[in-house]
Amino acid sequence: MRKRHFTYLFLTLLIFFALAQPALAQALDISSGGQPTITGAVSGSVTGSASVTNDLLVTINFGEVSPLNTNSIVKVVVPIGLRSNQPYQVAVTMSGLTNVNAEAVQASDVGFGIQNMRVLGGAGKICTQSTHVIHSPFNNDPSSSATVGSNGRVSYPSTLASLSGSTVILNGPQLSKNNSANRQQSDGYVFDAIFTLTPQFFATGVSSATLIFSISPGPNVPC
Amino acid sequence: MPRSLITFKIILLAMMLVVTAIACLGQSTTGTVSMSATVSKFVEINSGGAVTLTGNSGGGVTTDGVANSPLAVSINLGELGPSNPNNFVTASVPLKLRSNAPYVLSMSATVTSSGSTSSRIGPADVGFGLGTISRAGTGVNSPATDTNATSGDPTLPANGSVNATTGRYEFTGVRSNLSSFASATTALNGPIIMNAVPRSNANGLTVPAFFAVKPQFFENGTTTISVTFTVTAP
Repeated sequence: MRKRHFTYLFLTLLIFFALAQPALAQALDISSGGQPTITGAVSGSVTGSASVTNDLLVTINFGEVSPLNTNSIVKVVVPIGLRSNQPYQVAVTMSGLTNVNAEAVQASDVGFGIQNMRVLGGAGKICTQSTHVIHSPFNNDPSSSATVGSNGRVSYPSTLASLSGSTVILNGPQLSKNNSANRQQSDGYVFDAIFTLTPQFFATGVSSATLIFSISPGPNVPC
Repeated sequence: MPRSLITFKIILLAMMLVVTAIACLGQSTTGTVSMSATVSKFVEINSGGAVTLTGNSGGGVTTDGVANSPLAVSINLGELGPSNPNNFVTASVPLKLRSNAPYVLSMSATVTSSGSTSSRIGPADVGFGLGTISRAGTGVNSPATDTNATSGDPTLPANGSVNATTGRYEFTGVRSNLSSFASATTALNGPIIMNAVPRSNANGLTVPAFFAVKPQFFENGTTTISVTFTVTAP
């Protein structure tokens, strides 16, 4: 008897999850937005899925960033896919890059900007009453806005040092038209996260950082 | 309906529901971007500017130095016999060093003379030394202490004199003539030269390399002096 009750309870839970699927599906989703690219690198690489239905899991190796790299800048473009059936916001948290030596690569040496918010295919929701807002200071392409500071070091309008805790970089209205059970090829938006690092006379060593992009319910803006 | 068939159907239904539930949870609200970068040791030597040649009789700078360009200088010291009345023929060759790591500047030299006697010009007859070291400009790690392994300007009175026995002028200071550099020998070393600035920053450590010959009754002939500077980051 107990076994039968347990079976009914188990099946009821599964049915609940299955029925809840349309409500949960695409409520908020972040994924790969396409193939990431890298330019100007020496012994560098970027790996990530070209499919917008795969998770966002990107590994960037800027390669050599001492003057042995004679290119003016190393630039990485990471397309990121977003889907939602409600207003959303995207936040970023960073860990790593804790070099004690001020002449080693610091978070402020890695340019970070957001550009090119665009519809992902025909099922991306085009809202007329609200826009997708890239938060200051991230609305720039750091590869075209780099300057040399008074100390001779390259600086950007926004860098990884602009991130403090969980930092909201983007928000806006509903992203997707449909409520598909699975990620579709054309049901949201894509933006480019741009990372840059200018080869310089940095102190020697290997530096690393990890960024977590997250999507969550955002300010309740109309569509 | 047989009980086993009912059980089978329940299992099948459960599997379908599980698969559907997994699909529901298959989306994600987070994504990860990991990044890394490597900075290797880097050192370079370039010309620090134009060569200065003084005390020469004839000769001249054949290939001059160009600041921030590869060091490739050619100098004709001119007449080094007694017909040159000057005290010394001196060439000052500016060097520019840059690094993101502690560096060592070494030098090796060969002196080849057409003469056949001990009076021909030899390595010991060519004075050498590094002058005042300058770390100046935006992006240069300064102040810092560099160690000059030479005795400086070889024409200074403290760095040479006439040998009372042979009468020949000798450069007597520590590493003050090319006989000390028959193989690669340290001339200068020090800490990191550049802060974190791009290579387009033209500043660096500059130091003049002095070469000097005292005109004397050398055996007549021609002499070729070849010097190679090498900077490393050990």
